[in-house]
Amino acid sequence: MKQIVSALLLLSLYLGAAAQSRRVSGKVTAGDNDSPIPGVSVKATGKAIGVQTDAQGHFTIEVPEGVTSLEFTYIGYQKITVPISGNTVNAKLESTTSGLNEVVVVGYGTQTKREFTGAAARISGAIVKDAPVQSFDQALAGRAAGVSIASPNGVLNNPPVIRIRGVNSISLSSYPLVVIDGIPVNTGNISTSTSVPNNPLSDIDPADIESIDVLKDAASTSIYGSRAAAGVLLITTRRGKEGKAKVVYDAWGSLTKAARLPKLLDATGYMKYKNEAVYNAKVLGGNENNSSVASALFFPEYNADGSLVNTNWYDYIYRTAYSQNHNISVSGGNKTTNYYLSANYSNQQGFVVDNEFKRKSLRFNVDHEVTKWFKIRAGGAYNTTFNQSQNTGSLPNSTFLLIGAARLATALAPNVPVYNADGSYNLSATGTLGMGNNLVTNTLWNAKALFDLSSYTTENDRFQGNVGGTIKLPYHFELNTTYAMDRLRTENDTWLSSQLGSSGYSVGGSATNVSALRNNWDWASTLSFNNKYRKHHVTALLGYDIQKFETTSWGAYATVAADNFFTNYEGSYSTVAASGNSKSQKAFISYFSRITYDFSNKYFLTANFRRDGNSALGANSKFGNFGGVSAGWVVSEEGFYKHLNISHIVDNVKLRASWGRVGNGNVTNDYASQSLYSASLYGSAATWYLSQAGNPNLAWETSKQTNLGMDVALLNNRIQVEGTWFNNDVNGLILSAPQSASKGIPDNAILMNVGSMYNRGWELGVTASVIRKENFSWDASFNYTHINNKVTALAAGNSDIIGYTHTSSEASNVTRVGYSVGSLYGAKTDGVNPENGRRIFINKAGEKVQYSATVGSGESNWTYLNGTTASAISASDYYLLGNALPKWYGGLSNNFRYKNFDLGVNITYAGGNYVMNGTKATLRDQRFYNNYTDISKRWTTVGQVTDIPRLVYNDQISNGSSYPISANVEKGDFLRLQSVTLGYRVPSKVFGTSGITSARVYASGNNLFLLTGYTGTDPESSSNGNSNTTPGIEKNAVGQGRTFTVGINVGF
Amino acid sequence: MKKIYLYIGLGILLGGSSCSEKDLLDTVPSTSISDANAFGSATRILGLVNGAYDAVKGASLYGGRYLLYCDVRGEEFINVTANSYTAYESWNNSYNSGSNDINNLWSQAYTAINNANIIIAGLAGSTGVIPDTLNAQYTAEAKYIRALCYFSLVTVYATPYNADQGASKGLPLRLQAETDDSNNDLARSTVAEVYAQILADLDAAEANLPDSYSSDLLNTTRAHKSTAIALKTRVYLTMSNWTKVVEEAAKIVPQTTAPFSTTSYGVKHALQSDITTLFGTTYTTTESIFSMPMTSTDSYSGQSAIGYIYNANSEYYLNPSGILGSAQWGSSDKRRSLLRVASNLYYLKKYAKASPYVDYIPVIRYSEVLLNYAEAAAQTGNLALAANLLKAVHARSDAGYTFADGDVATAAALVSTIAVERRIELLGEGFRSGDLLRNLQTIPAKGSSSLQANAVEPSASNYIFPAPNNELTTNKLY
Repeated sequence: MKQIVSALLLLSLYLGAAAQSRRVSGKVTAGDNDSPIPGVSVKATGKAIGVQTDAQGHFTIEVPEGVTSLEFTYIGYQKITVPISGNTVNAKLESTTSGLNEVVVVGYGTQTKREFTGAAARISGAIVKDAPVQSFDQALAGRAAGVSIASPNGVLNNPPVIRIRGVNSISLSSYPLVVIDGIPVNTGNISTSTSVPNNPLSDIDPADIESIDVLKDAASTSIYGSRAAAGVLLITTRRGKEGKAKVVYDAWGSLTKAARLPKLLDATGYMKYKNEAVYNAKVLGGNENNSSVASALFFPEYNADGSLVNTNWYDYIYRTAYSQNHNISVSGGNKTTNYYLSANYSNQQGFVVDNEFKRKSLRFNVDHEVTKWFKIRAGGAYNTTFNQSQNTGSLPNSTFLLIGAARLATALAPNVPVYNADGSYNLSATGTLGMGNNLVTNTLWNAKALFDLSSYTTENDRFQGNVGGTIKLPYHFELNTTYAMDRLRTENDTWLSSQLGSSGYSVGGSATNVSALRNNWDWASTLSFNNKYRKHHVTALLGYDIQKFETTSWGAYATVAADNFFTNYEGSYSTVAASGNSKSQKAFISYFSRITYDFSNKYFLTANFRRDGNSALGANSKFGNFGGVSAGWVVSEEGFYKHLNISHIVDNVKLRASWGRVGNGNVTNDYASQSLYSASLYGSAATWYLSQAGNPNLAWETSKQTNLGMDVALLNNRIQVEGTWFNNDVNGLILSAPQSASKGIPDNAILMNVGSMYNRGWELGVTASVIRKENFSWDASFNYTHINNKVTALAAGNSDIIGYTHTSSEASNVTRVGYSVGSLYGAKTDGVNPENGRRIFINKAGEKVQYSATVGSGESNWTYLNGTTASAISASDYYLLGNALPKWYGGLSNNFRYKNFDLGVNITYAGGNYVMNGTKATLRDQRFYNNYTDISKRWTTVGQVTDIPRLVYNDQISNGSSYPISANVEKGDFLRLQSVTLGYRVPSKVFGTSGITSARVYASGNNLFLLTGYTGTDPESSSNGNSNTTPGIEKNAVGQGRTFTVGINVGF
Repeated sequence: MKKIYLYIGLGILLGGSSCSEKDLLDTVPSTSISDANAFGSATRILGLVNGAYDAVKGASLYGGRYLLYCDVRGEEFINVTANSYTAYESWNNSYNSGSNDINNLWSQAYTAINNANIIIAGLAGSTGVIPDTLNAQYTAEAKYIRALCYFSLVTVYATPYNADQGASKGLPLRLQAETDDSNNDLARSTVAEVYAQILADLDAAEANLPDSYSSDLLNTTRAHKSTAIALKTRVYLTMSNWTKVVEEAAKIVPQTTAPFSTTSYGVKHALQSDITTLFGTTYTTTESIFSMPMTSTDSYSGQSAIGYIYNANSEYYLNPSGILGSAQWGSSDKRRSLLRVASNLYYLKKYAKASPYVDYIPVIRYSEVLLNYAEAAAQTGNLALAANLLKAVHARSDAGYTFADGDVATAAALVSTIAVERRIELLGEGFRSGDLLRNLQTIPAKGSSSLQANAVEPSASNYIFPAPNNELTTNKLY
């Protein structure tokens, strides 16, 4: 067969040469950036004559008589035909990533956008490649309709808060399923420390990503069945393309600074306001004339040169951080074999002192066509990533830690020095910051000593690889199988010095090492059918997928260091105990199928079905059946449409609808359904005890999703509009159903399927080629999502689920029937009483009560406004204070190109939600904490209207330190200039014979400004990370930094 | 040829299926066992028994904090930190249904009760794994644990028995193993019914508990016959059933004059010559009838450890107008060496070990039994015996002290003197508020210049702990 083809080819060449022919040459460039495209197939229309472009995109072809045009084809670009006029024909290829021919990666396959009838968004890898981030997911903010991505804080390598069409569960994760080259991978934070985060997605070099496809509706995701209730991110890594080897070097360097830090009092201001509070307390306590009660407790300290000690703690906690990232790749191939090889080195600093991220990675992908019917493909990536950070108080469950850097930065006293005159740390007898001449006891640490004397790291060693093959079978069948492995070893190390000033001083120093191995493999096989018969196009898919996760973790905790010389676990310690031990496994087995049918490129139908088994669910309900149907109608293909006037303006109109049922069984505990006994000790005797009451009927959460959409292309495809309405009803929510405490069940709860909620909304995406001229172009893309979340049922009696921020005294959120998940919660306040400067609260009866932290003997701290004694505000008086989930969000990106310059401007926005600015409570805290300069607006005189109560020393209630108050709830609406990038493409003539084919230099800024009425550090902050039940809390966390980057992309 | 393709294809596709669904999906943990295997071996059953004791040792219960709550409610201590994580709300009697102390104590005690019920249910018939005699012994230990927990709850969460002879609503009386989501609703039994159950359990326990175990450690940390009897003296004392106190106490205190010691059973319980050896030196003497063992691998730290709260972090000092100033507590009294002074303030150092906090927590001591017996003897007119018992306890620590005649002359004087002696002898061991409540006395006011706690009358709602939210919201019949 092959010989015959070759012979025919040779023959035609010969015939062509024999006839009258002429030579035509030209250059092929990419439409979006004018870079030359090597390896483009150039063919004389209607003839078998063809050549390929060289590395500079040049070609020369002998064109026989009678041929009037050339066809240009290249993978990933739209085929174009250019008429021959003269001896030079230049062509510009537009990438296929626009219009209905765009390829969409769907579960276990691809479809064109025309065929696709669900809801999905594709994000090009180019968007994440040059972003100064640690993991690709951080760079997706604002890029796709329906996808909300927020950075919870400014610590490096934090998992962002990702919500695809809202919060889709209460107890289980709302993080989407992330599938990398076919294998679902671990997500979330895998660090065992609340100081340093470790997002395993940072193990993927962003530059290796070809595309990110976001599957949003059930019809698209249900092929992932039980795993897909929160949406799916399908990551495809780069692979080689036919053509000469292409070498690309990308590098960037950046600097980052903290942004929007609150302005704090200096030493003088600190003493003034603290002493005012001390004096007020004395007066209110009836001790105005009692000389044994102090009138002031805060006094200055002077340097040797006589100047006032005035410490700016920001200087010791924040810094200007420098980062660099290098990436090199080689790719290419011939007709049968393609390869891609890349290496990455990243060394990034965070703007909090000691915060570091380092990655080294290598990736290799290869595709080979063994025979006409058999292809194999393989890939592998190895990486190490290293994360280090001091405790910033920003990660979940660290908000109130006394070692949290963000709180230390604002609360430490400015009128005492960091060091004593002799150069030693300024410390108290217990190792906290020494208070100099101030006559108060301090419980906060000297940040400088604390940081010097401790370290928290987490480091990954990971190999991800896959091998697969495709066999073409007769009758249009094709068999595909892929085995993928993902082996991730993490070591989490914590060291606290035995020296005074370290938080480990009281236990004589400590070191904890915990090593975890996450072993994950997946084997998926599909049999597919794809055939066109006249106008009928049918595809079918039948598949089988097994995935297994094994997680082992073990470690040890050592205390009492033999010497303060030791800075790691390997040193000598007196006592060692086991720490962090666990071992579990989880498996999924899935059978799935999909059938698509389209007629005449006009009518499209897709149906899919999946049966899933999940080992973590109850013995009686491990399997669930999921599926969806969707349909599309390309109206513009209809004959009648083509006669309508509108068809001159509106090129393409497609309607689509889908319905599907997906599940969620991603319980974090691999044995959640079982009744278990665990072992412990009673003194030195071994014990067994009931540690978990199971539920053999624990089943999937299911969501029924309906999706209606329309895709429209206008003005020669220059404007594309996608609109989608969706409704997602989630039932059988897995909740920890509270059990009567007198039953003595562990944790007084059993996981059960109770409760339901919905997410309803619509999304709009518009992309437009606003201007497209030879030297100037402007592309814009805008997306908007409106979403409404409402809980419709909860566990027995629909009782509220209270969400806590770090401690059980901070009941910060409530999930209540009739409201959105995790609404803000706390005591309701009504300003400050102008008569006496006391904070006014509203109790559960709706009555106004006021609070004074200090009162005379016989008086009550809590009174009605008329002065009579009132009950103290307690949790039973709390109100729901506002929805914490954004009701609308989206992004706007603009790309301009002028000659060799390009400019990208990316804006994100969100709103309709409220944020608990808990940090404000700390900034107004009336203990020995420093305050912000706004404290000057405190109440001082009768009749004064202000929101800051009279300063009373040790008042922890009036400003929200003891428990959340509504005075700190603010609207979260914002618009952020996420990134601005200005690039310059060096003209290719500059390179001469250097071998360089393209070069671009760029400079960019991230988080350049934030337009918001929110007065906290950042309205996207989330002290509880990705938690569904406690969103919208900013408390004692570091905000996001502002980053400036310069970079270069060079192609060889 | 085509057929070969098809076979290869099907082979690969089905190859995956060769991993059995069952193997993959029916995962079992390797670090815990399923309920089906919990009673699978003699070692595991013993492990379950120890597990129930360990639940009693929970931080909120006899791991230490229960003692703390009961002590600081009374007038002996002054709080300095106003920290609700270290029993401040117990101290100033300001708790509500949402308070941590209230919810944690309730949950922990009922966890121990459920663990005991699981053992009782699991051993209801012959197991085929352990001999029936051992079966009976373990059941008796479980009943002892259940009785101790119900007694610990009913004395703080329910109206005192003496207020109305137990007619008030008491506790939900859970007597069956709970391992699933049924039976959330259970009405409260009366206080009298709860006491009846406690005594029935203790009688049953006494019948089947061993005389002694093979080591001092086991004699101190697991229940034997005398343990159940000793607890009965406390229960009957709380009910003011003096005759029964005398009857039970006589079993383990057969003498009428000092020295007193148990003779009838295996463990010869007796007072040690120096009380301080019990705290910090030898935790397993015959005076310690029942204690919670602590080791460096199984102890509490930080705010869960009462040694940290009382001593290391100095959060409570002794109220100068409490028992500290009592004339009965002489300066040469050995028990004063269980205090330390700093800046003229006295701190309790019965739990004095620094981290790790490995001081055993005492639950029942022989000296308490002697004082229980003394009080009942005084109440029943046996003044000589009462005085002998009282003096035995006092003289052990302060041999030179002589009780004034007026202090021991009448039954009423004796009862009052014994009450004072209890405050000295059992300070910091969780007795003070229980003694106030069983006598329906007002909880006195106390305080310092900065923190004040008001007096609480027996009629006040905060005289007893409120029911916790975690019961109120789930048990509709409460």
